[in-house]
Amino acid sequence: MIIESFKHNMAAHCESGTLTALLNYKGLKITEPMIFGLGSALYFGYLSRTPNLSFPMFILRTKPGKIRKKIAKRTDIKFNTKQFKSQDEAEQELDSLIAKNIPVACKVDFYYMDYVPQWERVHANIHFITIVGKEGDEYIVSDSYYPKLARIHKDNLRKARFAGGYLAPKGFRYYIESVPEAVDYKKLIPVAIKNTVNNMVGIQPPFIGVRGIRTFAKKLQGWPKLTRDIDHLSHEVMKINVFLEDQGTGGGGFRFLYATFLRQASEILQSKELEDMSKKMMEIGDGWRNISYFAAKIGKNRDLGPEKLQELGQMINERADSEEAFYNELKTVVSNI
Amino acid sequence: MKEKDAYIDYEPQQLIMYVENEDGTFGPIQTGSYITKNYLDDFWEKMMNLRNSLLEKLKKNEITPVYFYKLIHDFNDVELSRRTGISVFKVKQHQRVKSFRKAKLSDLYKYAYAFDIPVSNLFQAIVVEDNENKAESDKLKQPILVKQTRTENPFVVITKIELNKK
Repeated sequence: MIIESFKHNMAAHCESGTLTALLNYKGLKITEPMIFGLGSALYFGYLSRTPNLSFPMFILRTKPGKIRKKIAKRTDIKFNTKQFKSQDEAEQELDSLIAKNIPVACKVDFYYMDYVPQWERVHANIHFITIVGKEGDEYIVSDSYYPKLARIHKDNLRKARFAGGYLAPKGFRYYIESVPEAVDYKKLIPVAIKNTVNNMVGIQPPFIGVRGIRTFAKKLQGWPKLTRDIDHLSHEVMKINVFLEDQGTGGGGFRFLYATFLRQASEILQSKELEDMSKKMMEIGDGWRNISYFAAKIGKNRDLGPEKLQELGQMINERADSEEAFYNELKTVVSNI
Repeated sequence: MKEKDAYIDYEPQQLIMYVENEDGTFGPIQTGSYITKNYLDDFWEKMMNLRNSLLEKLKKNEITPVYFYKLIHDFNDVELSRRTGISVFKVKQHQRVKSFRKAKLSDLYKYAYAFDIPVSNLFQAIVVEDNENKAESDKLKQPILVKQTRTENPFVVITKIELNKK
């Protein structure tokens, strides 16, 4: 059976896209940028020293699952969430929910989503999909990164839901129990924006926010020492492009998505200042996109000497300067709303 | 990003990008992946180079299958330990040629599960010469197909080799 009334749409980001689709299904009309913005999801972190990672990486959004938690805290949307120890119990419960016409969001290891092309499939326990049906041994999947409804064998879904490792899903699933008739956007938008401003320019460790962007620019110069060979270095540098553009960001490292949130917020709050900020955020995103193009180009050409890495670092530092000025201005704008 | 600059014509990998439309509004468009369209060949070349260089070391008994697949899957020791439930100490041991010989079958089963391969593939590399220059994902272009089917026995897999009739 398939839950026919569930409307599949692609989305920029899996977590905000899944949440948006489920809320729309429940009758609450809300956009993905609004979910992303209200969830204060925009972020920056440079993770260099952690046993969980095989290579340093940067993150552009808050911890997986946090968007939903923030939305739950800030609105009257009621979620039903659960983790499992038993794989059998998780599967049986999922089947029974689908039989009741309840679409269910599951956290999975992206590697096992075998309907996406092989080059995209990496081990990452941070992907969200919505299960909207089951036929025989296959589940029907609505995945924000796939243009149409997909199918996944029950054994693969089981592996994906119970993959071990960093941020292991442990069978986590959620569905929406109820939604309010309306969301008080005028009250929530300033709160959410202030939270994001604090994440980026508030008192944070040196690897978080704008300081994190600068740390990234600096630490990047040491990447050649951490890699096996030139191919490995090229691969890691080209992943900058993938992280900024391809891994569910909506482009420019989520900056275009956040610009759209600010634009929608400006319309709701009738704020010309916020509209101006949305344009500035779009321009900041363009700068990140230039970085991603540059990283792809030097990676492909194996042109990865100290000069090129310094040039890339300089471009990243420029983003840090732009973003610092931007968030300080945004702080003033939102204080006056 | 202006809408007109955002369109990438690449059907195999679609994504959503938020752009500034011509009328000045902001919104989503569905487009193709820039990096995949322009640099996928480079990605496969690097993956093939990595696989081949590791395979050479494996053949010379310089590395173990655990190390081979750990790098292919881009795990580190801690991640592999968490995914298998085998201690980090043992994971490190199993990457040493001498110690790997002492690995328990139950541990090998856990590794195979984490690497998403049959246990038997820890002891064999299936190489089809005619397929060697074809990307792994491009099954349609491979003249010979190798299909591995799991059985109810966790240690036995059926490997079928057949001509690609497509």
